[in-house]
Amino acid sequence: MVSAKRESLITQMRRGTLEYCVLALLRDQARYGFDLVRSLAQADGLITSEGTIYPLLSRLRRDGLVTTTWHESPSGPPRRYYELTPAGHQALELFTTEWDRFTDAVDRLLQQGGSP
Amino acid sequence: MTTTADTLVDNYLRDLEAELRDLPPARQREILDEVGEHITAARAAQDTQSEAAIRTVLERLGDPADIAAEARERFGVQAEPAKPATPWLEVITLVALVVPFLGWVVGAVLVWLSRRWTTRDKLIGTIGGLSWVVAGLGTTIAPRVGPPGPAAITVTGLIIAAFVLPYAAAIYLAIRLRAGTNTVPATR
Repeated sequence: MVSAKRESLITQMRRGTLEYCVLALLRDQARYGFDLVRSLAQADGLITSEGTIYPLLSRLRRDGLVTTTWHESPSGPPRRYYELTPAGHQALELFTTEWDRFTDAVDRLLQQGGSP
Repeated sequence: MTTTADTLVDNYLRDLEAELRDLPPARQREILDEVGEHITAARAAQDTQSEAAIRTVLERLGDPADIAAEARERFGVQAEPAKPATPWLEVITLVALVVPFLGWVVGAVLVWLSRRWTTRDKLIGTIGGLSWVVAGLGTTIAPRVGPPGPAAITVTGLIIAAFVLPYAAAIYLAIRLRAGTNTVPATR
């Protein structure tokens, strides 16, 4: 019961933040899908099934926040690399600013409770 | 060379393609391609190509239904309920009921196999379908009734009615079927 509640809580928090985590991973370098997904999977609780990242990447591309280019791979066929567009960088910056404000406010409330 | 591992991957991608059916074709293609590339990259990153290793890759990717659900959510697409199937049994029943004699018998039997008609509808279908038996009796009796008179007219009327009834029953059942089909979404 507790674990079901925990699961639904994490799902809700993940819903709004996951796309920015993807953008953040692409901020300094282009990555191919598998690499990106494995990096996300290493962050605890961010994704439960790796495949669900691909619909998100597809939407980010449709929204013009990422683009893809093909690069040769050392092993196997060429790989599709994802990189941020200028709009993607902007979206990430906006999120980072707002996130800092938001988490500060929540942290303060969680720590001090209702006391002034 | 096709291995068990390849078969597992093919099956996985086929399931995913089926699950993604509600998305625009371009998005379907994109997600399918990228998941396929993920699997290729994962296999290249692994030393072994064992069946167990592939199963792990596919397990980490997750259930195709979950990926499709995520895609529908990200693209704001509603899951399309499966189209109501054509009621073939009922259509065949109706066709049978317009074919004289043998068709009427077949229709009267088939109508009971349907789950779309109520018992009352089925009774009407059966009586309609089998009414020509009455007509058969009527035709055998008719010569004995004798000279034209009220009795002969009644018998002739019965015979004509008996031959018309299967068609009336078929029309009635068709109307009930249409009404039933239209109310299906409302009852869900």
